Amino acid sequence: MSNTLEQLPILNVDRISVFYGQFQAVKEVSLEVRPGEIFGLLGPNGAGKTSTLSAIEGLIRPATGQIKVVGFDIVGQPLYAKANMGVQLQATSFQPELTIADILKLYAGVYGVKLTKEDVFNRLQEIKLEDAAEKKYGQLSGGQQQRVSLLIATIHNPALVLLDEPTTGLDPQSRRQLWDRIEAIRAKGHGVLLTTHSMEEAEAVCDRIAIIDHGRIIAIDTPERLIALHREDPEVISVSRKGRITLEDVFIGLTGRAVRS
Amino acid sequence: METRIPATKNVLTTLLQADFTTLWRNRRSLRLVLLVPIIILISWKGLVDKLGPVMVLSSVITIGLTSIGLMGYSNTMARDRDRGVFQRLRVAPVPTWTIMLSRLSIQIGLIALMVLLVFIVGFAVDKISISALGYITGLLMTIVAGWLYLGLGQLIVGLIKNPDTVNSTTRLVYFAFIMVGMFGQFGALGETMKEVVQWSPYGVVQKALAGSLQPLLWTNDHTMALLATIGYTLVFVGLGIKYFKWDNK
Repeated sequence: MSNTLEQLPILNVDRISVFYGQFQAVKEVSLEVRPGEIFGLLGPNGAGKTSTLSAIEGLIRPATGQIKVVGFDIVGQPLYAKANMGVQLQATSFQPELTIADILKLYAGVYGVKLTKEDVFNRLQEIKLEDAAEKKYGQLSGGQQQRVSLLIATIHNPALVLLDEPTTGLDPQSRRQLWDRIEAIRAKGHGVLLTTHSMEEAEAVCDRIAIIDHGRIIAIDTPERLIALHREDPEVISVSRKGRITLEDVFIGLTGRAVRS
Repeated sequence: METRIPATKNVLTTLLQADFTTLWRNRRSLRLVLLVPIIILISWKGLVDKLGPVMVLSSVITIGLTSIGLMGYSNTMARDRDRGVFQRLRVAPVPTWTIMLSRLSIQIGLIALMVLLVFIVGFAVDKISISALGYITGLLMTIVAGWLYLGLGQLIVGLIKNPDTVNSTTRLVYFAFIMVGMFGQFGALGETMKEVVQWSPYGVVQKALAGSLQPLLWTNDHTMALLATIGYTLVFVGLGIKYFKWDNK
């Protein structure tokens, strides 16, 4: 089966709302991810990041609005939309009995990619894990697990890559290495949407970011422009700690100091 | 640029390979579900003459089905749901029903393996021999009845989210089914309990299986037991699908 891709941007989220019973977790959120762009979705805990991402991934159906991945509606044409996206979920998500080689073959198969034994070796060599083919996922370190997850998310060379807090829990070396890999995806002209709690990460790798709070997008721009735009806000100045305004100051200034559960 | 989605047949084959590998490597669980009926069959060697070969085979197969549905299937489903295995597959271009069909197909294969082992051990150790037609209809009936216990396992996973609670609940239900079923059907728990057990999921499956192992002696009682088996299956599967959630949130 096939269909022609015509429309750009790679991801178009148009005024989506998500409800859990009576509670509205996402309120008319709109955003776009363009080819060759890393787009960051930032927000405090419970702000609606994961719900927005879950709707884009097709795991939950938005009550209103539309999501299109390279022109395919995630509700109307879910298989075509999903075939164009690669996803790295937050939680470990592979059967513990399967080896890394088994997992690669499984996900290559479900994305319609044929992998020989040599291909599996080459793919693992790309992420410096050629010796891990027969290991179980649980036997890998956090950084190695993230590399495998990212490899699987991109095994079918998707136009859009969705990464849910990809560097959480990684040491600085592993985090830098993962940033390099994310930037390599961008260099191929693919779009990346990532969620993160790390302002350093957002500043370092994201071309544009959206700050979401209480289910609404309250700011959307490049990190530099967001800082420039809000550097005079009294709330932002009041939370500044280093004598200069950072993205984290802007984030806390816009979303408040209160700790979210 | 063109979007290609994999053929459903290829997706199903890939999922089946992964699910089979998962089952095969999970030896402890595999041994448990296969060995329980075999051990009971061997330990009942001295009872074959007293109970009759058909009663022994049908009871042991019923216990095997209970083991697979409650101890194997439901626990694996609860564990994989908790780990996010299903969510990871659902974000791929895979029709959702293929994920479930693959899982159930592997369990049906396991059920067929269990009943073949029971027939072989029954013949070799207990010297139980039935007609060729009885073996064939017995195998087919086991597969039909297997859905009842897979449905019950599905219902438990649907109603309970925590995998540890699923594990303890299935052990409790398994123990209750085996003990009440086995002792109840022989009248050890009184006549009222014998009647209750006869129409319980344990009793109707055992009765339908007994009839299928001797197809030439099939009666209205066996037909009623088969209908009750199908009825229980529809209820368990229907509610299991209704309440099942792909994730734990």
